[in-house]
Amino acid sequence: MSTFAISGRCIAAPPPPDWCARLALLLGAKPRRIGTWAELGLYGALHCMADAGESTLPQDAILMLASRRGTYAATGLVLEQLREDLPMPLAFLQTQPGQLLALLAAQMQWSGHACFFASTAHHALLRLAAAQSGSGGVLLGWVDEMEGGSTNWLRLRLDAAAGINFVPATSDLEIFSPAVSHIAIDATHLQVAYATK
Amino acid sequence: MKPVYLCGRGLACALGLNLGQSLAALRQGDVTTGSRFLHGAMGGHFPYQSIPFQMNDWNERACELVQRVASEAGAQNAKHGALFIATSSFDIGAVEQGIAQINYDTFANKVAAWLEWTGPVYVISTACTSSLNALIAAHALLGTGEADEAVVLGFELDNKLTLGGFAAMQLLSSSSSKPFATHRDGIVLGEAVTCLRLSTSERSDWKILGGANVVDGSQPTGASVSAIVSMYQRALATSGLTADNIDLIKVQAAGSPGNDAIEAQGLRAAFGKLPMLVSLKAAIGHTMGASGAAEIALLSTCLEQGAWPRYADHADETLGVELIPQMPESVRHIMATILGFGGSHATVVLEHA
Repeated sequence: MSTFAISGRCIAAPPPPDWCARLALLLGAKPRRIGTWAELGLYGALHCMADAGESTLPQDAILMLASRRGTYAATGLVLEQLREDLPMPLAFLQTQPGQLLALLAAQMQWSGHACFFASTAHHALLRLAAAQSGSGGVLLGWVDEMEGGSTNWLRLRLDAAAGINFVPATSDLEIFSPAVSHIAIDATHLQVAYATK
Repeated sequence: MKPVYLCGRGLACALGLNLGQSLAALRQGDVTTGSRFLHGAMGGHFPYQSIPFQMNDWNERACELVQRVASEAGAQNAKHGALFIATSSFDIGAVEQGIAQINYDTFANKVAAWLEWTGPVYVISTACTSSLNALIAAHALLGTGEADEAVVLGFELDNKLTLGGFAAMQLLSSSSSKPFATHRDGIVLGEAVTCLRLSTSERSDWKILGGANVVDGSQPTGASVSAIVSMYQRALATSGLTADNIDLIKVQAAGSPGNDAIEAQGLRAAFGKLPMLVSLKAAIGHTMGASGAAEIALLSTCLEQGAWPRYADHADETLGVELIPQMPESVRHIMATILGFGGSHATVVLEHA
């Protein structure tokens, strides 16, 4: 059983109506030609880091990003462009989900292990996060562009969690509850602990 | 960490439909580069290294190739373990044919069904480094005891999106891949489906010691010297080795004028005395998300059975690095490196018994 403490979160499903303006404030400028999906990812990740009181990740931290349909909208546009001619280079770049990892790394002035997972399997991803993360922990996000968009992020650190009372999660999505302070994971079970008042 | 062994390999690539065919073609220098045509004012014919196996239906072809390489690697012995599908283009070729939609879960379920997989399924997509990242993740999962069997399935098949995107960015060669060569003029994309079976309960002559992936946002479409150095240093640290323990590096060296030069600079900075270097891009093309695993499957088989790639073009002496023309007599520690799109730099360390 591995246990994580949640030190920051951004739960935005959907994000607030003015999320684009808020992102521009966070970045100091409106992002240019990176696509809506990447903008949503930046918005959530940077808010999560701010919530954790961090501006960058430690060197040995890992960045994990997941999505159900990823860059499908940008990909559809490029497929349309390909009917007539080669796509625009920046449009093609927007189809690559890994570009968001590079954008985040650049924004945080960080370099390290970062990976994109085409999946919504929260339990499986948390198991892998536990296996791969070191003392710097993990910044883990799920970003999708459909249905108004969603960008849910957790800043997690491995934690012995001694004396913490865990209960089985009623669903994988319970990890996003604002009251959850810790997550415990093993091969078959996902458990959560709630912050004590 | 438990020791993790590479226990099975399968490969379908431009050289052949399995490792036996691929080695035979490599020995004979039977490397053929075809071409693909794209419409438009900026379009035209672009060199491309296809798997010599044609079927009209993209899904049927993909299924057949996946099942072949999985069988070659003995993946049926690991169906309860973790499956890591690594790809940069998913099933976009099927989307282009109008027989699939862009939905990652549907794609993962489809591939898992082809393999009758019962364990957890991960799909990793970090452009060119996808299958090395899958290998690094599988190594972590097995090494920590979270699973005892895993399969990495590298998967990159014909589609217009990838070829068109690279053509639009003017990254493609007009003729052939010429790694670290004087007249290199770009990369040649290729197809590969490959399967690596990993285990902690079964032993083999190949042990995976560790690896590292470093994403650096300073160069979104290419490599950076500092990230290359950091990648090698981290990989050596995770493997418990030092630079002088490394005998051979399978480099990225895709024939790109700019990226090959940056890679050479990074190699010189990371290693005081350079290990021997080999590139497989001229033989099978740049197989994008599948390339890391495909080149490990091919290289490890080459080292076991005695075959070596040929380089037709003169080495660029200004780079300060060179590829070895013949197979080394003995190799114990190798690194397999892919430098990718999206600022991703990855390498995996293997030990040969």
